[in-house]
Amino acid sequence: MGLREYAIRRGIETIATFFILITIGFFLFRVMPGDPTAILILNPHLDPKARQLLRQQLGLDQPLYMQYFYFIKNFIMGEFGYSYHNGRPVLELILGVRLLNTVILVGTSVILAIIIGVVIGALAALRRGTRVDVGLIAFSLVFYSMPVFWLGMILLMMFAVYWGLFPLGGTVSATLRHQKIVEVITDYLWHMTLPLTALTLIQIGYNFLIVRNTIIDILMEDYVTTARAKGLPERVVLYKHILRNAMLPLTTIVALQLAGIFTGAVLTETVFSWEGLGRLLYEAVDSRDYPVLQGLFAIITIAFLIANYIADILYAFLDPRVRYK
Amino acid sequence: MVGDFREFLSTMKSKLSEFWTIYKTNTFGMIGLFMLMIFVLLAVLADFIAPYGEWEMLVGRPFEPPSIRHLFGTDELGRDVFSLVIYGTRVSLVIGITAALLSTIIGGVVGLIAGYFGGIVDDVLMRITEAFLVVPAIVLMIILAAILGPSFINMIIVIAIVTWSPIARVIRSQVLVVKELPYVEAAKAVGCSDFYIIFKHILPNVTPLLFANMILQVSNAILAEAALSFLGLGDPHHTSWGMILHYAHGSGALAAGYWWYVLPPGICILLLVLAFVFIGYALDEIVNPRLRRR
Repeated sequence: MGLREYAIRRGIETIATFFILITIGFFLFRVMPGDPTAILILNPHLDPKARQLLRQQLGLDQPLYMQYFYFIKNFIMGEFGYSYHNGRPVLELILGVRLLNTVILVGTSVILAIIIGVVIGALAALRRGTRVDVGLIAFSLVFYSMPVFWLGMILLMMFAVYWGLFPLGGTVSATLRHQKIVEVITDYLWHMTLPLTALTLIQIGYNFLIVRNTIIDILMEDYVTTARAKGLPERVVLYKHILRNAMLPLTTIVALQLAGIFTGAVLTETVFSWEGLGRLLYEAVDSRDYPVLQGLFAIITIAFLIANYIADILYAFLDPRVRYK
Repeated sequence: MVGDFREFLSTMKSKLSEFWTIYKTNTFGMIGLFMLMIFVLLAVLADFIAPYGEWEMLVGRPFEPPSIRHLFGTDELGRDVFSLVIYGTRVSLVIGITAALLSTIIGGVVGLIAGYFGGIVDDVLMRITEAFLVVPAIVLMIILAAILGPSFINMIIVIAIVTWSPIARVIRSQVLVVKELPYVEAAKAVGCSDFYIIFKHILPNVTPLLFANMILQVSNAILAEAALSFLGLGDPHHTSWGMILHYAHGSGALAAGYWWYVLPPGICILLLVLAFVFIGYALDEIVNPRLRRR
């Protein structure tokens, strides 16, 4: 199978998965306690006629299959209505500063965790069985088994409460207005340090174990022996033959882990009051803000489906063996 | 009939003792088992070990630091944190194990059916599996938990629903291998029913893998329970470690630096998860032939 056919087949599969997720979403949001007008009945001045009108406007008087059709239409067109909480359009609430904040936090931590994971993974694999190796394994297992929000709480208590080195939470200082761009960036990074540390440390353990085991396998491969037998300098063998091949499984695994990393990000954002999508999700559930929840579900679903698809194609491009399965 | 059963028991017994002989040599596996046994004891004997009841308020002043009377100090309601942590063991263990069991059953059934029947059945089931794999667990988990409402049973259901998909994938690929074995082909040729072949020939071959995955799944379930409770979506009638951290976060104990309130529950989560990770990897090394050569 060529790359093009593979991309098309995976594309069709991804669209099928998308419709399954829309259907799950439809059932989730339709069985939510009460229909969207229920929250308005809390207002005693609303007369039944007005409610009927609202149901008509929202299409809730239509048969179920028509509602399903509208649900899909709104899902694709990005029409999620207005937040119950502050009346702003849901799409505007999601695709803005909040999305940017989450992308910056998650993106930076993923890159950092890959770099650190590869470095210490290679170190441990090349010194297999030594004290360095055992120490690094213990370190990675401990962080792997730790709830990310608890790690965040500990970091917050140590570095913000006791030593006062970092802020207690938030994304930028409230006092910072109309300052130079450099100062704003510095302030942003200062706020990001602790959540970034927590989210990165949690991922390192996993990346480390993957890289270490891959390299141990690669070290036994014939091409490594050949490279060494040819008299190539050890540095060249390490970079060109070992690390390059070790990066491949890591890329896929990080792509697969992306959903899990987002889960960690939601929890981290909650601990550090980081104004991102995760915190929005938490607040939307807390205030039962269904339009926002629905919008978040849609956007996150689409984003992760696309990311997953790109990762798959990239992997097939890097490793042609995948396509022939 | 009775003879059959006796024979079955004795083979099981010899298989188990053979397994135990291999398992005993795995240091990490034994450490994990030891840690788990301590937590099980804490959970079972909670009523005898905990100096105060789960709901006994104002046994001290609010936010008292650790002392002989209150080993881990007290919380904002003047409850003994040490007792809360002991009682929390029960919830974390029970939810962790039952949720993992349920998720393994769902994942196992989906994997078996998809792998065995192949074709359109496989396509549909794998798309559903992919759907659950691609979306971040927390999104579905939060929405589901908010819809179903906070209760002990709902927590188990929610965690199982969001965690079964990786198991389905692992089992499916194993079934694809087992399906090609000559005796399965022979059973088919003789005219055995699909149901019979799945239960008699395929299932026994994937059971060890299923079991190892279930143990690893328990650690995921414990972390998921802690996360949900931390976000305030847990059952308020049962104190869990995640919920203690939820209260610590909400009551301002964190900003005030009351470390005794925050450290113990987190360390317990860490140790219990680590115990299952150790046991799980030890089992994986025994049952996963790919790893044996290392």
